[in-house]
Amino acid sequence: MTPRIPLPDDAVTELGLPDTSGWAPGIAAARHRLRQAAFRMKSVDPVTTELVRIRNARFQRCFY
Amino acid sequence: MTWLARLPDGDPDPDRPARAPGTGTDWQRLAAIRPEAVEALAGLVAAAWAECDPVLLELARLRTATLLRNRAEHARRTARAEAAGLTETKVAELAAWPSSPLFSARERACLALTEQFVVDANGVTDGQVAGVTEHLGPEGCYTFVQALSVLETFQRACLTLGVETVPDVDELASGAAPTTPEELR
Repeated sequence: MTPRIPLPDDAVTELGLPDTSGWAPGIAAARHRLRQAAFRMKSVDPVTTELVRIRNARFQRCFY
Repeated sequence: MTWLARLPDGDPDPDRPARAPGTGTDWQRLAAIRPEAVEALAGLVAAAWAECDPVLLELARLRTATLLRNRAEHARRTARAEAAGLTETKVAELAAWPSSPLFSARERACLALTEQFVVDANGVTDGQVAGVTEHLGPEGCYTFVQALSVLETFQRACLTLGVETVPDVDELASGAAPTTPEELR
């Protein structure tokens, strides 16, 4: 995947995606906190969670 | 209509109203079920507003509300945007943004990206991203897309759950936990 916006460097994350961790740090931190809260709820079992994630990725044509 | 009608009316936490204004509303009833998650969600919305131009984001939020047929969000106004100069005259012209002289090239670029993002994110073009980048810079474009993503997802979640009485961002921010990277460590 080629980034559409110029990035500060060529660093990538563990997923191989462009590392944008220095940008919008407040939003990134808040997303992290929401993810933690969602995982802690354990209201939805991991299999259903994964099926929904994969189905959504396919629907959005997001194949990485 | 709310899908939360059968939730308890009372809040078991007497201190929560002070932290999450909107007592007795569907928003507060949602918070009563999963306070930690709702607080984190409020923090995410607040963070989006903290990192973006409030007028740009309010225009994007209202246009998103129109496209999603979200009447509650469309009727609401964000105090930060009004304080920053957004007028009702301009809001009333929002559907005509491509041709209305009230909108700057910067706002048009953001609204074009917003519309495509909401309708089909996969259809966003290089040109639409370049248009926003030209006006906001790479980091500004990245931040705008992040903030837009937050508000769009939030609206879809509220529509799904029937939550209509969302507090203003300043109230959300006051009830949210710290969200800076340092505070999360």
